[in-house]
Amino acid sequence: MIMEKLKLNIKIFFEGAYLSYVGLFRWLSPSTYLATLIFSPLTQMLFFVLIGTYAQGTDKAYFYVIGNALMNAAMSGIYGVTMSIGGDRWDGTLPYLFGAPANRMTVFLGRAFMHILNGMIGVLTGLLWGWLLFHIDYSAANPWALLLTILVTTFSTSGLGLLMGCIGLITRNVMFVNNTVYFVLLVFSGANLDLATLPSWMRIVSNYLPLTRGIASARLIIAGHSLTEVLPLLIEEFGIGLFFALLGYSLFRWFEITAKKRGTLEVF
Amino acid sequence: MSAIEVINLQREFQTTIGVFNRKKKIVPAVKGISFEIAGGELFGLLGPNGAGKTTSVKMLTTLLIPTGGTAKILGLDIVNDAEAVRPRIGFIFGGERGLYWRLNATDNLRYFASLYYLDPAVSKKRIPYLLEMVGLTDRADEKVEGYSRGMRQRLHIARALLHDPEVLFLDEPTMGLDPVGARELRQTVRNLQDEKKTILLTTHYMFEADALCQRVAVINKGEIVAMDTPSKLKDSVNDLSVVEIEVFGIPPETVEKIKTLSMVENVSVEDRDQLQLLLVHTSKGAEAIPLLISELNGLKLGKVTTREPTLEDAYVRLVGGE
Ligand SMILES: Nc1ncnc2c1ncn2[C@@H]1O[C@H](COP(=O)(O)OP(=O)(O)OP(=O)(O)O)[C@@H](O)[C@H]1O
Ligand SMILES: [Mg+2]
Repeated sequence: MIMEKLKLNIKIFFEGAYLSYVGLFRWLSPSTYLATLIFSPLTQMLFFVLIGTYAQGTDKAYFYVIGNALMNAAMSGIYGVTMSIGGDRWDGTLPYLFGAPANRMTVFLGRAFMHILNGMIGVLTGLLWGWLLFHIDYSAANPWALLLTILVTTFSTSGLGLLMGCIGLITRNVMFVNNTVYFVLLVFSGANLDLATLPSWMRIVSNYLPLTRGIASARLIIAGHSLTEVLPLLIEEFGIGLFFALLGYSLFRWFEITAKKRGTLEVF
Repeated sequence: MSAIEVINLQREFQTTIGVFNRKKKIVPAVKGISFEIAGGELFGLLGPNGAGKTTSVKMLTTLLIPTGGTAKILGLDIVNDAEAVRPRIGFIFGGERGLYWRLNATDNLRYFASLYYLDPAVSKKRIPYLLEMVGLTDRADEKVEGYSRGMRQRLHIARALLHDPEVLFLDEPTMGLDPVGARELRQTVRNLQDEKKTILLTTHYMFEADALCQRVAVINKGEIVAMDTPSKLKDSVNDLSVVEIEVFGIPPETVEKIKTLSMVENVSVEDRDQLQLLLVHTSKGAEAIPLLISELNGLKLGKVTTREPTLEDAYVRLVGGE
């Protein structure tokens, strides 16, 4: 009985994951999607690497390449997940979603899953561009440790995305909020700035954000450090992601209960 | 045990009015309604705009918490046992929203099937069956975005039936459909009733309620003002007859004047291209015609007829036509 329930919940999870992906696909069309996947990691990276190396010298290119490659995790984590959760509001499907018996946690997490895969592909593409254009040398990196870092980082940014998605259920201006969050990550995560040079209050903010430790860990691994050395960073990064995801889930539940009390399920 | 049991169900909404000087205002949408629906019965909730039909259906489908009263579906409380109620009911709200527009019909149904914990082996057969039933098989691979309103409405029906629920709530299922589409949909509803489903249907259309429902509750301003079989409701206006007069360019003052006549209970005017149709409810029948014609003195008249009251006339009497 419990096994049966579990099996059906796994089904909901993957159907949700698959369909939010198909939804995305249909929207972009496969060729646009592919182009986005390949070229969008390039534009932002090119911009920051060129400015950064102009100011700091070409031997710093690796710093910007790694930082901006990992920013792709934030891109799909935040925008992708927000769109697939907030989309229910636009489609008017919330009454049908909240009128169904489905386990809310499964529905909720299923929406994030594909964007984790997507984010990982984005990060890897970014690193690939770094190798092609700026000849970044990854030979010292332990590939499994690097993959784990990418996975954990995409998970944690998607956790933040889940929270943002729920905010998208409540406010109309979620894209504005998302842009702000993305910008905050761009500045505070250390993607393009050496955190050690930041004022202490900014470093405190960095400490509570996803991505910061993921980027630090990726830089260490590519510089030849071992998995055990970065493991504490990864555990913390995972913890932060989990924290945001749980916060998002609580907000999701709160939204459902309040909407049913106040009658605001379809109010814009 | 009745399939649906509603006891003094109430719902108020709090809204704010004004921009600067915001004030809270309480809107009573449903003011304590009670009724029972037997298993397998097709029950109609009939009422004008804003009567509280959708609000009632939302409460019964666990989407809105009542502010008073209770209701049970198949013996389960809609608030305390909401989770047990959900898998046993299906519902649609009129209109075309509520589907994933970027997905095709099959994918939409697949997702909703998973939300109802349908066994994949079952949904594999059920989805094509339902698509066939609502006539969407040929277009099942197209994005819902490109569907017409009627197609979306039919997809909603398929969605509501995925888990083969015992109780169905259909809130204005024919809203926005063309006459042929509406007729087909009514046939679908009849077929569902043949499958012994309990159905609560809301509508504005008397003839729809008359044609489909075994019993009808007329709801107005959040209260049930009458509840009976369509034929008994018609009986309640047996003392009335309706005089219909075609008239060209009737001034509003004349309509007001006719309303004040003692033998006249209700007057309404329907626009028909060049002319208007004056509908007069009266207890006097054909005897009223000479007096009415004298009131219309000087106006060009067309056909003048009397007829038996319909359910629509009963409805107008009950909700007191504006
Ligand atoms: N979420 C809400 N907040 C505030 N008022 C609401 C809300 N939902 C409904 N109402 C009010 O409750 C009353 C009943 O609305 P309801 O939608 O139930 O009517 P209805 O009978 O379905 O009408 P229609 O035939 O137009 O669909 C209306 O006065 C409406 O304005
Ligand atoms: Mg309504």
